Amino acid sequence: MKHILIATTALSIAALDAQADELKLGLATAQTGGLAPYDAPVVEGIRIAVDEINAAGGIGGKIMIEMTEKDVRSDTAQTSISVQELVDAGSEAIVLPCDADPSIAAAAIVASAQIPAISTCASSPTLPLIGGDYVFANFPGDNVQATVSASWAFEQGMKTVFILYSPDSQYTTMPLYFADVMKSLGGEVLGEATYNIGQPDFSAIATQIAALDPAPDVVMTSAYEPDFPTFIKALRAAGYEGQVIGSDGIDSPTTFGLGDAAEGVVFSTAGHATEGSPLEGFNTLYEETTGSKSETVFNAVGYDLVKVLEAAVVAAGSTEPQAIRDAMANLEDVQGATSLITYKGTTGMPVRQVSLVRVKSGERELVGQPSPRADLIPAPRMQ
Amino acid sequence: MDLILQQTVNALALGGTYALLALGLAVVFSIMGLINFAHGELMTIAGYVLMYCGLAGIPFAVSVPLAVLAPMLAAMAMERVAFRPVRNASGATMLVTSFAVAMILQVLFQNLISARSQPVILPDALSQSVTIGGLIIGVNKLFAILATIVMLIALELFMKKQKHGIAMRAAAEDFAIARLMGIRANTVISAAFALSGLLAGVAAVLWVSQRASVDPLMGFTPVLKAFIAAILGGLGSLRGAVAGGFVLGFIEVFLAAFLPSAWQEFREPIGLSLVVLILILRPNGLIPAATLQAQKV
Repeated sequence: MKHILIATTALSIAALDAQADELKLGLATAQTGGLAPYDAPVVEGIRIAVDEINAAGGIGGKIMIEMTEKDVRSDTAQTSISVQELVDAGSEAIVLPCDADPSIAAAAIVASAQIPAISTCASSPTLPLIGGDYVFANFPGDNVQATVSASWAFEQGMKTVFILYSPDSQYTTMPLYFADVMKSLGGEVLGEATYNIGQPDFSAIATQIAALDPAPDVVMTSAYEPDFPTFIKALRAAGYEGQVIGSDGIDSPTTFGLGDAAEGVVFSTAGHATEGSPLEGFNTLYEETTGSKSETVFNAVGYDLVKVLEAAVVAAGSTEPQAIRDAMANLEDVQGATSLITYKGTTGMPVRQVSLVRVKSGERELVGQPSPRADLIPAPRMQ
Repeated sequence: MDLILQQTVNALALGGTYALLALGLAVVFSIMGLINFAHGELMTIAGYVLMYCGLAGIPFAVSVPLAVLAPMLAAMAMERVAFRPVRNASGATMLVTSFAVAMILQVLFQNLISARSQPVILPDALSQSVTIGGLIIGVNKLFAILATIVMLIALELFMKKQKHGIAMRAAAEDFAIARLMGIRANTVISAAFALSGLLAGVAAVLWVSQRASVDPLMGFTPVLKAFIAAILGGLGSLRGAVAGGFVLGFIEVFLAAFLPSAWQEFREPIGLSLVVLILILRPNGLIPAATLQAQKV
C-alpha cells in the first residue's frame, strides 16, 4: 500500500511538472495522399521551429514543446479520428491539415474540447467562420490572394479574364473571388470552365480558351498538382499565349521544372526570400538543418505556425488551452519567417503579406508584395 | 467546324491513352479472369523511372525505353510473387490480391521515394504544338496518337503471327484445352503480364508527358478509367478494350467541350450515365469477348 502511495504521489508530481513545463502539441496532418505535398513540407518547418525553441530551453526558456504526430492520409474521416485521439491524449494545441474540408470536420471536436487548432496552410477564408472560435488559419486567405493578383493584373492593363475552377474543394474555387475583384475593378469575365481534381485531360478546355475571340488577357486558376501542369501544358499547346495567373498551390518544384510551358506564369503565395528578409534567414536555417535547399515556401509556413503558437503561449503565460486560444485571437505583428502575422480583429484568418511571384527561366522572380485595397476584398463565399 | 475537328484530335489522343490502358487490363483478364488493379502502379513505376532518368541526365530517347521496360519486368515479378499462388483461387481472391499489391506498392513509393509529387524533366518539344491544315495539335497529342497506332498494329501482329501471341489467344479461348495442346501455363501467363506491363509503360509515358510530375498515388485515376473502358468495351475482349477506350475518351472530351457551362459541374455523372446507357443497350459491352461466359439474368 505504501509503495502504491509513493508511486502515485511520484506520478502526480511528475504529471504536475509535465503540465507546467511542456506544451503538448498534437499534429493531425496529411503525410500521405493528396494533401501530403503541402502538409509534409509544413511539418518539416514545424519540426525545425520546435527543435530550435526546445534547444533554447523551451518557450520563454521553460516550456518545452512535446509533439505527437498522426497521419490523416488526406482523408476527412481520418482527420476527425486522429484529432479525437489527440484530444483524448491531452493535447493542448492541435495542428490541422492543409485544407479547409478536413479541418472543418475536426472543428466540432476541438470546439467541444475547447482546444485551439490551427490549420497548416488551408487558405479558405470560410474555415474559421465555419470552424468556430477554436479554429485558426495560417495562410493568406483565398479572397486576399485573389484581390492581390487581380489588382496586379488590372494595373498591368489586363482587363478581360477567363477563369478555371473546381467545385471539388473550397481552395479550388479561388478564381471566383478573382472574377469578383476583376468585375469590381471594371474588368470583364469572358468565360469560365470547371474541372474535377485529378482530371486526366484538359485539352478540351484549353482548345475552348484558345478559340475565344477576342482572347482573354489573363487566364486565372487555382488548380494545383497534377492538374495545373496538365492544364498549362495543354493551354500553351493549344496556342494561348496570354498571361496565366495561379495561386500558392503551384509553389512547388514541378512548376519550376515545367520549362517553356510555365514561363511567365505569375502566382500569389505566402512569401518570397528577398535579401536580408526573415525568409532568407529561415532558408539558411533549413539548409543547415536538413542539408538540402528549401524547395517551397510551405517549409517557412510551418515555422510561422510554431512562432504564432509560441507567441500565444508567452502572451497567455500558461499552457492552458483556453488561455492559448484567447491569446492567439489577440496576437499582433508576430514575426514569422514569411511575414508579420496578426490575428487581432480577424475571425481567425490571419492578416499576412501576400507575395506575387513570376516563373522566370525555372526560377522565382518577385513581382511585388502589394497590400490589397481592403474595400476590394470579397466577402468569404459560403458554399 | 474547326473546333469540332480540334476536339476530335483531343479525343483521339485521350481515347488512345485509355485504349492502351484498357488493353493492359484486358490482356490479363482474358487469360486469368483477373482485373489487375495494380496496373496503375505499373504506370507509377514507369513514371519514377522517367523521373530518375531525368535527374541522372539520361536523354529522353533512352529513358523512354527504360520506362517501358521497367513495368514489364515489374509486372512479371508481380505475377510470380503475388498472383501465381492464387491463380486457381476465386475471382474475388485475385481481385483482393491485386488491391493489396497496389496498396503495398503505394506505401513503398511513399516511404522509399517521397510522399510529395516529384517533377519529371521533359523535353520542351513535348509542350509545343504544330499546325496541320489549320489545326493546332500539341506535340504530345501527336505523340499519343502515333504511339497508340503503333502499339495497336504491333499488338495485332503479335497476336496473329507470333508464337506467344497465338498461345495467348488459345489460352484466352480455353485455357484447359490450350494446356492439353502443350502450351505452358506459366509461360503464357507470364507473357500476358509482360504485355500488360509494356502497355502500362507506354501509357505511363503518355500520361506523365501531360502532367510532368509523378506521385505515389498517380496510378489510381488511370486504372479507374481503364476499368470503365474495359467494361464498356466488353471485359476480356481486346478489340472491345480499344473501342471502349476511344468511346470513353470521346465522351469525356466532347462533354467538356460542348456541354453548356451551367451543366459542366455534372460532366462526370453525365459521362458515366452515358456509359451505363450503352451497357443497358449492350450488356456484354461494345464488342464482347467470343468466349464470354457471362449470362444475362
